[in-house]
Amino acid sequence: MTSTHESVDRDRRRARAPRGTIGLIGLAMAVALLCTFTVPRFASVVNVQSMAFQVAEIGLLSLVIAISMYTAGIDLSLVSVANLSALVTAQLFVVTGAATADPGTSVLLTVLCAGAGMATGAVCGAINGLIITKLRVSPILATLGTMQLFNGLAIAWTSGESVYGMPDAFLMLGTQYLLGVPLPFVVLAVVAVLAAVLMGSRPLGFRIYVLGSNSEASRFAGVPNARVLLATYVLCGMISAVAGLVIAARSASASPDYGASYLLLAIVIAVLGGTNPNGGSGTLLGVVIAAITLQMVSSGFNLLGLSQFTYQVVQGLILIAVMGIGLLMKSWDPNKVFSPKQKRPAPEAGSDDKTEQQTPNGDNKKEKAHV
Amino acid sequence: MSITSPTDSPTAVRGEAVHLAWLRPSRLRGANNEGILALVIILLAVIVGTISPSFWAAGTIINLAGTSISTLLFALGVLLVLVSGGIDVSFLAIGAFAAYATVKAIVTVGLGSSSVIFPFLIAAGLGVVLGLINAAAVVGLRIPTLIATLGTQGIIRGVLITYIGSRVISDLPPTLSGLSTSYLLVAEGTTRTPLSVLFVPVAAITLLVALLLRSTVFGRGIYAVGGHAEFARRAGFPVSRIQVGVYALAGLLAGLGGMVHVILVREADPFTLVGGELDVIAAVVLGGASIFGGRGSVLGTVLGVVLISLINNSLLLLGVPGFWQRAAVGLMLLIGVSAQAWRGRRRPPTTDDPTAPGSSDSLTASQPKGDVA
Repeated sequence: MTSTHESVDRDRRRARAPRGTIGLIGLAMAVALLCTFTVPRFASVVNVQSMAFQVAEIGLLSLVIAISMYTAGIDLSLVSVANLSALVTAQLFVVTGAATADPGTSVLLTVLCAGAGMATGAVCGAINGLIITKLRVSPILATLGTMQLFNGLAIAWTSGESVYGMPDAFLMLGTQYLLGVPLPFVVLAVVAVLAAVLMGSRPLGFRIYVLGSNSEASRFAGVPNARVLLATYVLCGMISAVAGLVIAARSASASPDYGASYLLLAIVIAVLGGTNPNGGSGTLLGVVIAAITLQMVSSGFNLLGLSQFTYQVVQGLILIAVMGIGLLMKSWDPNKVFSPKQKRPAPEAGSDDKTEQQTPNGDNKKEKAHV
Repeated sequence: MSITSPTDSPTAVRGEAVHLAWLRPSRLRGANNEGILALVIILLAVIVGTISPSFWAAGTIINLAGTSISTLLFALGVLLVLVSGGIDVSFLAIGAFAAYATVKAIVTVGLGSSSVIFPFLIAAGLGVVLGLINAAAVVGLRIPTLIATLGTQGIIRGVLITYIGSRVISDLPPTLSGLSTSYLLVAEGTTRTPLSVLFVPVAAITLLVALLLRSTVFGRGIYAVGGHAEFARRAGFPVSRIQVGVYALAGLLAGLGGMVHVILVREADPFTLVGGELDVIAAVVLGGASIFGGRGSVLGTVLGVVLISLINNSLLLLGVPGFWQRAAVGLMLLIGVSAQAWRGRRRPPTTDDPTAPGSSDSLTASQPKGDVA
């Protein structure tokens, strides 16, 4: 038992602080310093606050991708879930007339309708989880389907139109400050801290990492894999719903088509933040830092008058450079990163590496990781 | 025509036995459920046709064929990458880049405006170059394919709009605009429905890709690499050369697809296309290709593209508002992948078939994890 505990502890430590996080903080500081000195008005209070407003929604969505990646899955439906949840809330606002009600009722209705939005996210997440665990469809395919389904339902429901008419109590979420910090950023921070606590010190978080490391081993260790997966996707759905509410509060409307480009950006941020797409490791802190870093780059480009498409180029270059350097330096465990997806028993992987080194043509570099 | 994958039973050989084997249910079903997909398409057509007889007008079928040819080219590229065990999300960026850059080159410097062939050659060449960038990231730097192509997608699209041009070119050069209005045939009915002349080369390319996957060493190598890269290497396949070839070919097909798209919509718009990647991937997956590699066929891909385009076209005929299209496609995709998962579970994957669809844990369970215990 002791040896198990030791390995568990080691695994936990590794899961909490992968080697990349320090480098990531360094990168963020470097970007911040570079922008402060080269970009006029970058470090002004107004710009910092505007960045904090903008980073919240994409930061929340990146957390969703990261958490789903910890289980070696992925949740492609997150933007659809966010929009559908926001639409449920917005439609309920319209139906209940929350915007025109007296202040007391308005606040109560705001809380109730936002709660309904969160519940929608949880239900969508549960649908994802059930398709993955009961029908045994792989996560990427299941959520590819539900992404289209949820988005399709939202489009069909509103005929593709946006929904307006939100009460002031709700719009405060997208416009007000708490001690000078924009509320959306406070929401991101609270959700990130709660999720980090869940991942770091609750049994569910530990089981998620174990399941993502090796689902077979976790099953033999008595982890209820199906329930853990279901809980993970419900959690993902709920965080997506929070992102949807933040988006709705910031744009004062809910639309079925908002933020389609966020999906790929969220994957970029999650991976930049050190999340292993093959599961089992990564930190939420790294993801938040990566989101802030990219937001700083984006904001710096904006202030310099460069287009968002130049930013896209840089974003792609950063992704490939960070991944390329990371893989070349093997800062990640090569057995995981370069793992072919097949059921090769673990001890054999080591011996394979030895035989590979003996092959004269050096073909061993040619194997690639699969996502 | 059914393209067998290497995971198919060894009895599926060419020769006289095939004639009898065709009648077996398993043959009719196809290696990747092509038969079931064809049945679904026929059923859907019969249902729609019964409710709305106007469906049977020649125009409907011609419209179906005409509107999906550029999607089909993209889908074929996606199929190659999926079969090889990767995922490509950069193909629409490549298509938009190749097509817009080609049109811009013709308009501004008159490059290759003498013949209708040249624009396609330029676009295909640009596609190959951009595909090789993908190959460099995937094979050279060994970055996971989804992440590598996410990166190149951003780079390619950004470079296109920042440095090549951001203005929509709506008056195409004469050779291309002439091609836009060249029709193979025109179905007369309540509305005139023309079939673009480009249908012929696209059909020919489809057959060539089928032939490539089915009967060349390179094509079989793609299945082998996608099935298990390590085993393929030990069996003597040049794994990285095959992967480079796959990404170059996918780039070529994407370049051509972009060019066909430009000709069909009669304008070159640098902002178009990108964003619909997952829809094309969905069509290919619906066509039976495994997202984990080693499985998939050209026939299935064609059927997948046809089915999605049929759903989109027929809902309107059925009186369902167009807003339901996306939900219907999503539901169809979920049913499709669930059926594959169910079938994969009933027939447990054998050792040489580690990536059967529906071994649902392909993404979760079967990673070798050397450092857990």
